[in-house]
Amino acid sequence: MQSISGSITGSHPLTEERPRLRLLSSIDGGLILSALLLAAIGLATVHSASSEMPVDYFPRQAGWVAIGLVLLVISMSVDYHVLLDLSVVLYVLGIVSLIGVLGFGAKHGGAANWLRIGAFQFQPSEFAKIATGLFLARYLAGLNNRVLEFRQIVTAVAIVALPMVLVAIEPDMGGAAMYAPLLIGMLLVAGIRVRLLVTAVLLGIVLVSGLWTFGLKGYQRQRVLTFLAPETDPLGAGYQVRQSKIAVGSGELLGKGYMQGTQSQLRFLPARHTDFILSVLAEEWGFLGVASVLGLYALYISSAARIAIRARDRAGILLVVGLISITCFHVLYNSSMVVGFVPITGIPLPFLSYGGSFTMINFISLGIILGVDIRRYVNR
Amino acid sequence: MQVVREHRDDLVSRVRVLTAVVTGLIVAIATGFWFTQLVQGDYYRELAENNRLRKLPIKAPRGLIFDRKGRLLVENVPSYSLMIDRSRASSLDHSLWFASGVLGRPVADLQQILQKYRGIPTFKPVLLAENLSLSEVARFGVEGLEYPEFEVEVQHQRLYRHREQTAHILGYLGEPSLDEIETAKGALQPGDMIGKKGIEQTYDADLRGRDGERVVVVDSRGQLLQEYKSIPAVPGKSLTLSIDLDLQQEAARWLDGPEKVGAVVAMDPRNGEILALVSAPAFNPNLFARRLQQADWQALIDDPNHPLQNRAIQNTYSPGSTFKIVMATAGMTDHDFDPHTSVLCTGSKIFYNRPFRCWKKGGHGTVDAHAAIKLSCDIYFYTLGQKMGIDKIAKYARLFGLGSTTGIDIEGEKRGNVPDNAWSEKVRHQRWYPGETISVSIGQGPVLVTPLQMAELTSIVANGGLRVVPHLVKDAKLPPPERVDLDPEALRIVRGGMIGVVNEPGGTAYGSARLPGIEIAGKSGTVQVIAQAQRTEEHNLPFKYRDHAWFTSFAPADNPELVVTVFAEHGGGGSKVAAPIAQALYAKYFGIDNGKPPAN
Repeated sequence: MQSISGSITGSHPLTEERPRLRLLSSIDGGLILSALLLAAIGLATVHSASSEMPVDYFPRQAGWVAIGLVLLVISMSVDYHVLLDLSVVLYVLGIVSLIGVLGFGAKHGGAANWLRIGAFQFQPSEFAKIATGLFLARYLAGLNNRVLEFRQIVTAVAIVALPMVLVAIEPDMGGAAMYAPLLIGMLLVAGIRVRLLVTAVLLGIVLVSGLWTFGLKGYQRQRVLTFLAPETDPLGAGYQVRQSKIAVGSGELLGKGYMQGTQSQLRFLPARHTDFILSVLAEEWGFLGVASVLGLYALYISSAARIAIRARDRAGILLVVGLISITCFHVLYNSSMVVGFVPITGIPLPFLSYGGSFTMINFISLGIILGVDIRRYVNR
Repeated sequence: MQVVREHRDDLVSRVRVLTAVVTGLIVAIATGFWFTQLVQGDYYRELAENNRLRKLPIKAPRGLIFDRKGRLLVENVPSYSLMIDRSRASSLDHSLWFASGVLGRPVADLQQILQKYRGIPTFKPVLLAENLSLSEVARFGVEGLEYPEFEVEVQHQRLYRHREQTAHILGYLGEPSLDEIETAKGALQPGDMIGKKGIEQTYDADLRGRDGERVVVVDSRGQLLQEYKSIPAVPGKSLTLSIDLDLQQEAARWLDGPEKVGAVVAMDPRNGEILALVSAPAFNPNLFARRLQQADWQALIDDPNHPLQNRAIQNTYSPGSTFKIVMATAGMTDHDFDPHTSVLCTGSKIFYNRPFRCWKKGGHGTVDAHAAIKLSCDIYFYTLGQKMGIDKIAKYARLFGLGSTTGIDIEGEKRGNVPDNAWSEKVRHQRWYPGETISVSIGQGPVLVTPLQMAELTSIVANGGLRVVPHLVKDAKLPPPERVDLDPEALRIVRGGMIGVVNEPGGTAYGSARLPGIEIAGKSGTVQVIAQAQRTEEHNLPFKYRDHAWFTSFAPADNPELVVTVFAEHGGGGSKVAAPIAQALYAKYFGIDNGKPPAN
């Protein structure tokens, strides 16, 4: 028996099928499973959240997920090295579309960050973010030193700062903030001296206070203030934090049951199909539901980290780290916001929240990460 | 093996560290959810429930109360209360500062009020001020957008049109006690108002009606999103009293003023309908319609004359000479004396080795039953009392309804006291002294009656021996009148004596109660507050040492329609003080000009 099997493997030369099969069988089960489960939970929750809304967002979101799966396959099948090679072009396209948004963007909720192409609306900042990640991964991968030099850090910051500032002046502070985890995650992994890290943190504090004084609009400042003392403005921005906390807290251990959340069904929760989807889930499925979802995210993130660790090259590691940093930030920030730990800002939850561009970008991101993984044995 | 010249090991270890950090953060956030959902879950569940449905009570309008001629005695007027939802205030200090400006009350006052509500969740609106004027209501309405924490609530408030004049009949409202809320099983909420005294109390269930409820879905701005269900309120039933407002007011006017303490009862002896019931001093029940102010309450409590007491039913007094009605009827019914039995009055007589005096120093000479009543001869009744003994006196007193409540439809009635041997043993733990019987024979000593009992007793005499139940509500369901075991002939002779009191020269109220065109029968009584020996001229005595005055009467004497009993505490002589009040009521009732200026 042993000899037979040994002879079979030994006797047959590598065919064209062999690497392809290996390609598919080596897809990380944890990552894809957690993503698909989260998307399914998201669809169900979007349906519940929008049951009292003029339109049911469930079919639309289902469409976005379907498109997302197609994009997942596409982005997975394209070799990430090709993407890295194209990253300069993608980066420039991203910058141009962001400038285009400033000129011709459709206004949504106080910020012009949508670009309309035919019947299609999308947020260029989402795509520019991926392009920036690719470009930064390519730049940092090429450096190949143990710890980054100051000059290199400045360059890296500049690469991220350009689209970030463009998004910030739309103004979309939440969207701009999303560039920070990308930069920080990749820089930390690429290597920063401790002394520099401390300096950066101090500089960050100065920047934040400067931003507070000069950069923030009144409503944004109000949001932060309200976060610090929600009782002061229960009807304004504090309303959302309060309603979200009521929804979450009243879910208790087992929740009120699917479609039974009074906070969402009676329209107390704001943006409940997008930014506050986790509040709806927490209310209807209780702490068990929340813990399950957070567990799935932990599985997703650790699976992606495992992919980064076993990636074939520096570029692969850095690319996965950049993409997963954004996801981490979304998950950490959104879930903290829903329980009232951090101020409210428009940061949705990956795979769960309703949203076209956002859903698509998450599946693209997932595809790129899987693409990195399946190519870990393949020679260039 | 592939040759990787890239530095990737450092990157891998950093990824491991960062993954651990992120995992730690997820666990921390999960802990946050755990705290919010499991530790604070109850609190948020209550908030969520409050968010969802708001029950808006629809207060049932309380029934109105009319007098026998359909004149309104109590009505409901809208009253505006200022509620504050503290959870909606951006700054409570600022809110209170604004409210203080509108209401013209110091901020400190309002802060003190809010202090009381510290234990109540802030999203529950609490009462900040009551009885807002319309201009204040308008101010809060206009500034509502800027101060969404304020809400003006409309409530219906009782307005007692005749204030003190009908206070003791109608009673007043107050907040239910915890016991009352519990026994009502959901029909009462804290903050509701229920009848606490008088008609408002007795007929509370009828008057209150049943509150309805609107259950609405609101958002946390209080905006109504949809109506869930609505249960209409059932308005309270209106009541018509047997009270005649004209008589009631006439009586009240006579008892209005300083040192006017007492009670007047006017009653139809044929059916027990009360036409007037006044106790003085009285109180303003409208003070209770709003939440009673501490100062007002203290003033009522501290008043030495206890204005809250309904003297017609709650206070007991020695009947004095009015008790001679009981004595005379009893003596003749029991055949101890017949109508012609005569007693010689020389102004004083020895009983049980002790001299007892007649009120008339020179004596009345020979008196029979008629003369004894008309002249109110003490010696006659001493003699009769000695013959009957205390137990027999007590038996007849009880037949007249003394010693038990009359059954009037307002709470608080006292039974009074009818002493006998058993009572003495039981209550005083001593034997009855025969000498006391002599005192009781003229209505002194431990015999005690309420003014209403006196009116009831007089009714029995007037209607020829029927016990009717006094009542204030016109068509109250009552047991049929009960025949009392008294000799009708005896009652006829007593009535004759009472006619003599008012209409025959020498009668004790001859000058003070006569009315042209209508024959009044009555009996006066004067109750000594201090011993005869210490007495000086009545008007020189301090108020509290002056005699109590009784006058109980009926008219027309041959076919009585109205009984009037007047009791003036420390009023002085019965015929001098009490009789004119009765006379004025008859004049009002029968529409006769008594030639005297109206009271006050």
